[in-house]
Amino acid sequence: MKQFGGAFAILLAVVFCAAGTVHAFVFTDPAGLYSTQIADSWVYQAHHSTEHLVVFYGDEDSALLYFERLGTVSYLSAWEFAHRSLELYRSPGGLEKFEMVRDLAEVEVGGEAGVSCAYTYQDGQGNQLWEYRVFLVLPGGEGFSIAFSDSRPEAADDPRQLEEILLHWRWLL
Amino acid sequence: MRSQYWSRYICAVLLLLLGAAAPCSAAGLSATFERTLGAGTAPSLVKEYGGEYILPIQERLRVEEVFARLAAQSERQDVQYTLTVLNSREANAFSLPGGFIFITRGLLNLIGSDEAQLAAVLGHEIAHVEKKHGVNAIFRQLGLSVLAEVGAFALDFLSGDLLRAAGLALTQILQAGWGREAEFEADALGQEIAARAGFDPVGAISLLEKLIQAENSEESMHIFRTHPASGERKKRLEENLAEYWPEPDLVKDFSALERLKQGRISDPGGRTDPRARYVLEGVGHPGVKLVDQQNGEQVVWAENAFVKEAAWSPDGTYLALLVDAESLGELWLFDRWGRVFRKISGLGEINGFCWSPQGDMLALEVPGSGGLRIVAAYLYAEAFVDVSGGRQAEEAVWLEEGLYFRSGADWYRTEPPQAVPVRVAEPVPVVLQRKRILTPTLVKEGNTFRLTRPELTVP
Repeated sequence: MKQFGGAFAILLAVVFCAAGTVHAFVFTDPAGLYSTQIADSWVYQAHHSTEHLVVFYGDEDSALLYFERLGTVSYLSAWEFAHRSLELYRSPGGLEKFEMVRDLAEVEVGGEAGVSCAYTYQDGQGNQLWEYRVFLVLPGGEGFSIAFSDSRPEAADDPRQLEEILLHWRWLL
Repeated sequence: MRSQYWSRYICAVLLLLLGAAAPCSAAGLSATFERTLGAGTAPSLVKEYGGEYILPIQERLRVEEVFARLAAQSERQDVQYTLTVLNSREANAFSLPGGFIFITRGLLNLIGSDEAQLAAVLGHEIAHVEKKHGVNAIFRQLGLSVLAEVGAFALDFLSGDLLRAAGLALTQILQAGWGREAEFEADALGQEIAARAGFDPVGAISLLEKLIQAENSEESMHIFRTHPASGERKKRLEENLAEYWPEPDLVKDFSALERLKQGRISDPGGRTDPRARYVLEGVGHPGVKLVDQQNGEQVVWAENAFVKEAAWSPDGTYLALLVDAESLGELWLFDRWGRVFRKISGLGEINGFCWSPQGDMLALEVPGSGGLRIVAAYLYAEAFVDVSGGRQAEEAVWLEEGLYFRSGADWYRTEPPQAVPVRVAEPVPVVLQRKRILTPTLVKEGNTFRLTRPELTVP
C-alpha cells in the first residue's frame, strides 16, 4: 500500500509539473551532431531545410529558428567567426539597414563556448526583423550557427524561447 | 592616319630609349604599362555596363573563392588579378590588360551554381591576360606588332596622351574582340587553368552549349559577338578534354574487381531502381517494361524500339536504354517520367555501357579503327573522350576506384579529372526569412468547390 502511495505522489508531481510547462519535443539532428528540446509550436520545415541547415517556423507570422553547419572553417575562435560575419552583414550586398541591438557576448551552448549577439535589419519586402544569433567553432574546426528571428524586437531583447532551446542543447559527438 | 602618327611617335621614342634600357626591367615595366592601361580603361567599361554590382554575401564568397583558385594558377607573377561583377543583364565577360577581369550579372545568372562553368569563363579571361592578348592587340592596332614587347617597356615612360591613344585603341579592340587565334588560345589555356585549379575541364564545353542555347532564345547574348564560331571552339575544347584524363594504368591490384566478382558491390548493372519506384520487368520489343509501384500499373518506355539493355543511373535520375535503332546501337536516356532526356548516337554501334558511380558519365563500348574502344560520354555536355589510349578495349566496369576495362588479357584503369568542390575558408552563416508560397484557397459555393486565385501565404 505504501508503494502505491509513493507512485501516486510521483504521478501527481508529474501531472502538476506538466501542467505548468510548454509541451516540447526532442529534436535530434539527422546527421547526429546535436539534440535539443523544442516547443511544440515550432514546426520543422522540410522544404526549407537541407543537409546542413535545419529550419523551424514558429506560430507567429515571421518567427523563425534555424541551425546551420558550415563545415570546416579557418576561424580560430567564435569571436573571429562572429566579427567576420557581422562585418559582411553590414557591408554592401549584406543586410539592408543593419544595426546591432546587442553586442557580442560570450555564451555557452551544451558546454561549448560561443559568441552571441542580436541585430535588426530590413528584409526584401521592407519588413524590419530582429535576429538573435550564436556563433560557435566546434572542436575539430566546424563552424556552427544558431539563429532565432522574428518581426518583434523581443527576438533580440528577450529571446526566452531560444534560451530554453539552448538550455537543453546537447552535442552528440 | 592617327595610328600612323602614333606609330612614328612610338618608334622614335623607342629608338631613344632602347640604348638606355636595362633588359632585366622590361618585364616589370611591361606589367606596369598593362596595369596603367587597364586601370585607365576599366572605369568607362564599368560605366558602360551599368556600374559595379555587389553580389549577395554567399554568392560573393563562392565567386571570389573560384576566382582566387584560378588566379593562384597564374604564371605571371607580375599581374595582380581583380574581379568585378558588372550590373548588366547581358551575358558577357571581359578582361583588360593588367589583370582586370569582368563578368556580368547576366552571365552569372545563366551559369547558376555550376562551378566548372564559372571557372571556365573566368579561366578564359585570365588566359587573355596571361597571353597578353590585349596589349598585343593594341600594338598591332598601332602598327607595332614586331616591337610589342619592347614597346611595352618604352611606353611606361610616355605621356598620358599616348596612354590615352592606347586606351582608345583598347576600347575599339574590345568591341571587335582580341582575334580568332587569341580566342582559341584563351579557350585552351583557360581550360587548363580551370583544370589545374581543381575544376572539371568539361565546364568549358557545357558552358559553350548553354550559351549557344541561350543565344538562340534571347537577344541579350553578346558574348559571341567577339568570338569565333562556337562549333569550332567546341570541337577544339573537346579534343583538349582527353588530355586531362590520365593514361590508363595496367592493373596489378585486382581487389576492387574481385569485390565486384564476389557480389560485394550490389547491383553493378543498375537493374534496380535506386529510388525503388519502378520494377524493371524486361527488355526487348516493344521497349522496356516497368511496373510503377506507386499505382501498380505497367508502363512501357521506348515502345517502338528494340531494347537490348537497361540500367538506372546510380542516383536513379535516369534510365539508360541500349536500343537497336536503324541497325545501330544507340543509347537513349529517359528521365523518371519516361521522357527522353538525351539520345547518344553517332559513335558507331554501341555494344555495351555502364554508369559512372556519380551518374554524370557513361562508359560506352564502341567500335574503333582496330577493334572496340571505350569512350567516356559526359551526361551534361555533348562531349566524348576515348579513354582506352589507342588500345582495343572492352568490358568497361566503373567503380569508385576508377574506370576499368579489359584489353586482351590485361586490365587497365583510368579515371576522370578530379574536381575539388569549392569550400569557402571563412564562410558566413545564411540569414533566412520565412518563405512565402503561392497557394490557392478552396471555396465552397453551393454544391461546388472553387479554387481562388493563388495568394502568397506563409506555410
